[in-house]
Amino acid sequence: MGEKPVGSLAGIGEVLGKKLEERGFDKAYVVLGQFLGLKKDEDLFREWLKDTCGANAKQSRDCFGCLREWCDAFL
Amino acid sequence: MAGLSDLELRRELQALGFQPGPITDTTRNVYRNKLRRLRGEARLRDDERRRDEARSWSPERLREEAPLRARPAASFPRAEAGLSPSASSAGSSTSGPYGDFGAPASPWAGSRGLAFPARPGPLRRRASVRGSSEDDDDARTPDRAAAGPGRHWWAPSSASARPPSALLGADTRPGLKASRTGAAGAVRARPEAGRRLERCLSRLLLWASLGLLLVFLGILWVKMGKPSAPQEAEDNMKLLPVDCERQTDEFCQAKQKAALLELLHELYNFLAIQAGNFECGNPEKLKSKCIPVLEAQEYIANVTSSPSARFEAALTWILSSNKDVGIWLKGEDPSELVTTVDKVVCLESARPRMGVGCRLSRALLTAVTHVLIFFWCLAFLWGLLILLKYRWRKLEEEEQAICGPGPLCGLGAGHGTLPICGHPPRARHPNPPTEPAANEASVGPSCGIPGFQ
Repeated sequence: MGEKPVGSLAGIGEVLGKKLEERGFDKAYVVLGQFLGLKKDEDLFREWLKDTCGANAKQSRDCFGCLREWCDAFL
Repeated sequence: MAGLSDLELRRELQALGFQPGPITDTTRNVYRNKLRRLRGEARLRDDERRRDEARSWSPERLREEAPLRARPAASFPRAEAGLSPSASSAGSSTSGPYGDFGAPASPWAGSRGLAFPARPGPLRRRASVRGSSEDDDDARTPDRAAAGPGRHWWAPSSASARPPSALLGADTRPGLKASRTGAAGAVRARPEAGRRLERCLSRLLLWASLGLLLVFLGILWVKMGKPSAPQEAEDNMKLLPVDCERQTDEFCQAKQKAALLELLHELYNFLAIQAGNFECGNPEKLKSKCIPVLEAQEYIANVTSSPSARFEAALTWILSSNKDVGIWLKGEDPSELVTTVDKVVCLESARPRMGVGCRLSRALLTAVTHVLIFFWCLAFLWGLLILLKYRWRKLEEEEQAICGPGPLCGLGAGHGTLPICGHPPRARHPNPPTEPAANEASVGPSCGIPGFQ
């Protein structure tokens, strides 16, 4: 994951990426941290994403799925 | 809720059975919302519980539980509509179809067929949850009701018979109510349902066994056979002391015919008894059921004082008659039909006369073998079923062993790729090199979702 920007996550495009960066989640690993902090709970993470940057159901689902797969593979 | 500190928020969440992660600036709102949601659900569950308890002690309980049993098909769509809003009430839905306070004794009572109109309200939600099981019960019990004789108070499969039996159902209800204890809920409803089931099954078994016994006795009786008199027997015919050997007027002819018939009757009896003896233990050590002609002739000559000519006339008469007289004339070649008296070698009775004991034992043996055959067939089919189930289970296990649990596995396997996402974790380098981008891209998870670019 390294220093990839938050827009490299699935479901996070330009608009959402900018909103997340405004809130301080400027790197992918920060969002990963939030994901892990919420104990990889799908409902909580997706709700958080919706509240933070206004992601819709599909975007939040994609982002969650992406992070989960990454964790399953590397964590 | 806004005034809750992080620790208090955490404690509240844990009290409601939820384990939160770290509560930071970013996660605080999320957990606050979660707490709000959990509190709402808990409140709904308590409300339902209180409502059910209050209702369970009311005298209306009898009538109110009727719609749970009745479950006519028409109310199903309405009940379904009522089910969706109640789906959120986790408490009642998670405890399963029997997990309701004040639940009635068992759904079996419903299969007795009560046609109470379904009433609206939360009761119907539970009714619909139990609906499928009750439908199955309804379908099954009519079949069994048809099978079992004498169970007049089981409603027949037609719905029209249900209303009359509703009264009967109401009568049995006080008895059921007495057996029921208070509002305990899931655990108590299950054993009661089981007890009811047991009672019904035992009753069914009783009637089925009685019916089978009757059938068995009937078969025995038929097999024993009613002693059938020979068709031409004229027992009370006595020969008048008139010499009719050579005269051929009508009266004499009639008397001659009578004498012939009497001879035939004696012959028939003799052959039948011989055949019966042969079948039942053979005390006289006969070679076969077929009695040689000479022996028969000798016997007849002893019993009736008739000349041999009459014997031959009798045989001719048998040959010429189309009716089944119960005596078979066998020639040298058993498969060939005899046409003349000369060819007859032996006589056999078509209806051997056996003793009562012999008949009974033979009938019993036949019946038992038939029943055994039936059971063997059943056992064979059952063995087949078990084998198939075992095979099927093995296949499933194999599949699981290859793939691991998960819905996507079957799809991945079909495309010829193993699910890459299940790779073991890789050790990270202590000093991540500066060329991670190219590296990561090649080892990143390619799980069908656009990952890191």
